[in-house]
Amino acid sequence: MDYKIIPSICSYCGCGCGVLFQVLDGRLTGTLPMKTHPVNQGKLCIKGWNLHEHVISDKRLTSPMVKKDGQLQEASWDEAIRITADRLQAIIKDHGPDSVGVLVSAKITNEENYLAQKFARAVVGTNNVDHCARL
Amino acid sequence: MTNSIAEIEDAACIFVIGSNTTVCHPLIARRIFRAKEKGAKLIVADPRNIHLARFADVAVTHRLGSDVALLNGIMHIIIKNDWHLKTYIQDRTEGFDEFKAVVEAYTPDKVEAITGVVRTDLERMAELYATNSPAALLYTMGITQHTTGVDNVKSCCNIAMLCGNVGVRSGGVNPLRGQNNVQGACDMGGLPNVFPAYQVVTVEGNNKKFAKAWGKELPDQVGYTITDMVQAMLDGKLKALYVIGENPKLSDPDQNHIITAFEKLELLVCQDIFLSETAEQADVVFAAVSVAEKEGTFTNSERRCLKVNKAIDPVGDALTDWEIISRLSTAMGYEMSYEGAEEIFQEMTPLTPSYAGMSYERLGLDGLQWPCPDSQHPGTEFLHANQFARGKGLFHGVEYLDPAEMPDDEYPYFLTTGRTFSHYHTGTMTRVSKNLDAEQKTGYVEIHPRDAEKLALQNGDTVNLTTRRGAIQAPARISEQVKPGLLFVPFHFAENPANALTNSAFDPIAKIPEYKVCAVKIEKAA
Amino acid sequence: MEEQIKEWPEPFSTTGDKTSTFDNLRDQVNAWLKEGKVDIFLGYKMVQGHPLPHCFTKENPDETDELIVGKARYSLEKMAANIAAQRPEIKIGLLVRDCNQRALNVLYVWNQLNPDQVETININCCPSRLKEHGDCSYLEPQPSGSYKKQVGIDNNMDVEVAEEFSQEERFHRWMYEFEKCIKCYGCRNICPVCFCQECSMEHNDLIATGTVPPEVPIFHLVRAVHMAGRCIDCGLCEDACPVDIPLRLLYRKVNQVVSDMFDYKTGMRADQSPFNILGDEVTLEPKPI
Repeated sequence: MDYKIIPSICSYCGCGCGVLFQVLDGRLTGTLPMKTHPVNQGKLCIKGWNLHEHVISDKRLTSPMVKKDGQLQEASWDEAIRITADRLQAIIKDHGPDSVGVLVSAKITNEENYLAQKFARAVVGTNNVDHCARL
Repeated sequence: MTNSIAEIEDAACIFVIGSNTTVCHPLIARRIFRAKEKGAKLIVADPRNIHLARFADVAVTHRLGSDVALLNGIMHIIIKNDWHLKTYIQDRTEGFDEFKAVVEAYTPDKVEAITGVVRTDLERMAELYATNSPAALLYTMGITQHTTGVDNVKSCCNIAMLCGNVGVRSGGVNPLRGQNNVQGACDMGGLPNVFPAYQVVTVEGNNKKFAKAWGKELPDQVGYTITDMVQAMLDGKLKALYVIGENPKLSDPDQNHIITAFEKLELLVCQDIFLSETAEQADVVFAAVSVAEKEGTFTNSERRCLKVNKAIDPVGDALTDWEIISRLSTAMGYEMSYEGAEEIFQEMTPLTPSYAGMSYERLGLDGLQWPCPDSQHPGTEFLHANQFARGKGLFHGVEYLDPAEMPDDEYPYFLTTGRTFSHYHTGTMTRVSKNLDAEQKTGYVEIHPRDAEKLALQNGDTVNLTTRRGAIQAPARISEQVKPGLLFVPFHFAENPANALTNSAFDPIAKIPEYKVCAVKIEKAA
Repeated sequence: MEEQIKEWPEPFSTTGDKTSTFDNLRDQVNAWLKEGKVDIFLGYKMVQGHPLPHCFTKENPDETDELIVGKARYSLEKMAANIAAQRPEIKIGLLVRDCNQRALNVLYVWNQLNPDQVETININCCPSRLKEHGDCSYLEPQPSGSYKKQVGIDNNMDVEVAEEFSQEERFHRWMYEFEKCIKCYGCRNICPVCFCQECSMEHNDLIATGTVPPEVPIFHLVRAVHMAGRCIDCGLCEDACPVDIPLRLLYRKVNQVVSDMFDYKTGMRADQSPFNILGDEVTLEPKPI
């Protein structure tokens, strides 16, 4: 029997409300508002209260996929990464680094955004980096 | 936001323009209600009769896309009545005289003709905003998603400076961020012209600093924005696109245009937690993890960097976004091997002055608001306390311009788009949630009862909406939330995609598309 | 089934200081876990300066050194009911205030939780009018703003005072409060005694979906009606309300009706079946959520 309350942050809008994830035997069972959080003070909106539902959706992607014969098919990480790396390198070689664009995300963490723009600038060699702040 | 969420509660006046706050930022709306109940004055300006308008001291529904004229009109009255804060203007700003000359022409008659807002309402707005200090101005995409987005923002800054509301507690110019980490994505350099903390890529010193830190020569030309990328794809210049946690096929304007652009790509790689409409078209799809399965930080609207904690193991073989990027990078010959998110954070902070004083330990559960330049700094509640970032605040004289597309005989209605309370963006996260889906299962078109009568529409009847770019079908929702002549379509629903209709005309500086205004034709479906 | 800790000198010290009473409490929970009297104990722990609900386990009994009693009030009994529904074989210990205890009593009489599965340590801190004395944080309510007092309902108002408004004025004041609603369902979600599998508030035939505010006043009145004989006046709903609707006052009123008409004191006893009030007692087999 393992029941945990994990404090975290809602990933919907830009309010940044404090939530508590309820985890029973490794399964996410609910979301609660954190009472002492400076932003939301123990309250949430309908999306926040249901934050766990998208996490446990059976529509989640559980494996990388690669298009074969026009169809996306499940693949191993090694295969998906290798194919992507090879094709990106070929495109960079033929058309230069500015033929590649990277869209980072307002949904991923700061650490991941930092790494994604580092990838674009240092690995691909382009400043073609943007995200949906405009959208 | 220049100021903080909690500060809103203590404002003497709150001016909400282009933000459906109770729907899109409910926990900020809470602070507006609390301020109002403590005695603050509330001004609401929105082309729709939004929920918050019911509680306003003055609420106006100005014509779609007429924000500059409205704000100039209010400022005209403030100056005429000598309500502006002259000492503040003198000490802390510049460009006032040029600005004043522009505003001079925006007489109440002229403004009423453009915006549809009557003189008495304009006067009331001016008086409430100028004579109740501090006044907080709040806006969202209703201000920015226009071909005049930058002009609209400048106008918001003008009015705030005019009354001395920038750099004071409970005042400020406060764009509410739409997504959990838009602020962070910008702060971290997720933009074509800047490294983390807005260090411009073309400045040699910045470029060298990052080149040294990353051990690699770096490009020093500004890259493509998302808007440029679409054109570059169509022109055959952009061959590969790596999309992380976005669904541009639904979220970008003029959908048909986007689909054509994607078809021209040699390689489309998508990284997501669901098989989004964009991912369906991809050559490779990376399965990423959700917020509950990883460590890291988000930065909210009030610049508060907040710690996200892992609650459960990743589902299936999904990996965190940083692990995927690291693996891809390593496979391309640039080794990235991090122990965890904290190690990345520790690499980032010394390169990012506004985050330099932060550590996971210091963030705790309350987070820290940037700028936080050193490890003793308590973080910053509100910006520009003693001076503006550029020294003096600059007034901009801004002339009103029509939106790129106005109704005409062929497309006689205004169309605007936005969110609903139970859904989020392209619905990838919310439409799979039972409770959120139950609230709203399909898209719809909001239409005023008078227009519905003209078209002999009953609630729920299917209508065809057509613009110069595309057509969709959706059920009609007869509602007084919109005025006659204005239609509203939420953008979450792939089967009634609002962005098949929207105009991709964009602001020349910010490159933000005009999602909020276009001309549309409506007919009852056969 | 319950053990009362008497003489609680500093019930709201959140510093984690070891007072003798804290030691008492911690020792007792520690002993319960070690002896196997309970498998888990739901209490509070300070996490980076924030009191959060925490599940102490027999696998790690010495963690009870970190058990605290703080101002924070989470719905530990709802967590207990959810855990019990998944794991009917385990014994659950629970730190309870009087309002938690009343909620437990309601869950027992509605057969949502088996009392044999629960052990409690009770501390006195109840703010309810049902109780003369209390030390809970809710006893220091936040004052309502001047405008709210003018047009709405002061959250600190008594039922009797609210009833002094004319019917028309009362209606307008309540409508002001209801119209602020952002339809988060937080009042229901946080409620320790809301356990229905199908909720009338989500019934599209009763209340139209898809709008903010929801249909008023029906949205709030449907819930109010369902709180009759159910609400235990813990205040969690009002505490979770983003727009400060005085829900507690509303539900206090419906409960007063139940009390006056049927002499049914919600949550005060674990043996008074709510079914009695409709005639002969109906007995049902315990059936977890």
